[in-house]
Amino acid sequence: MDAGGVIDVFRLGLSGLVIAAGLVLIAGGALGLLRFPDLYTRLHAANVADVVGSVVVVLGLAIAAPEWGIALKLLLLAALLIAIGPTLAHLVAQTAHAAGLAPISGQYAAPRPGATRPSTPP
Amino acid sequence: MTALAAAIGVGIALLLCVVRLFVGPTLYDRTLAANGMMIKIAILVAAAGVVAGRGVYVDVALAFVLACVVVNVAVLKFFRSRTLQAPLARAEDQ
Repeated sequence: MDAGGVIDVFRLGLSGLVIAAGLVLIAGGALGLLRFPDLYTRLHAANVADVVGSVVVVLGLAIAAPEWGIALKLLLLAALLIAIGPTLAHLVAQTAHAAGLAPISGQYAAPRPGATRPSTPP
Repeated sequence: MTALAAAIGVGIALLLCVVRLFVGPTLYDRTLAANGMMIKIAILVAAAGVVAGRGVYVDVALAFVLACVVVNVAVLKFFRSRTLQAPLARAEDQ
């Protein structure tokens, strides 16, 4: 077996490991999105585990890519995902909080942004 | 072959997100599930591009992620102010 074949086998194994790790994270995020009791806990599950899992899966795809151009585009996709995931999570949480959606437990009830009087506690 | 495994796993997670999209009690749960679905569809398209060995699919995934950002920001802005053209000055409360 020549050097190129060895490198290909090594690349296949490495991409399999990275994609398996990312799929475990994505499965955790999806199960949390299904099973958690509250919007805010669901946000925590979906946007901590899911964003990291997506980025790791895309990095594994970039390792497994057959050409350099595809790998470069996949790295760009990973950078985009890691930039927009927390931004959209922040937007969802801020919109729900501004609309007065209270968490299911805890004493935290901050005044809504833009409200002239504090919102009623849950 | 690993890309095919990634596509299958992400597809299963996509089905779980569809369940939350239809079950979700509040509007924001549905928005969150739709957001996760769009990102997972983009990863699915990118994995299909790696399986097929064509770079055009990855371009489609990049454009789809950018469209996902725009759609989510517009929808959340609409949920927040109930209009897509909010007034610049807030109306005074009595």
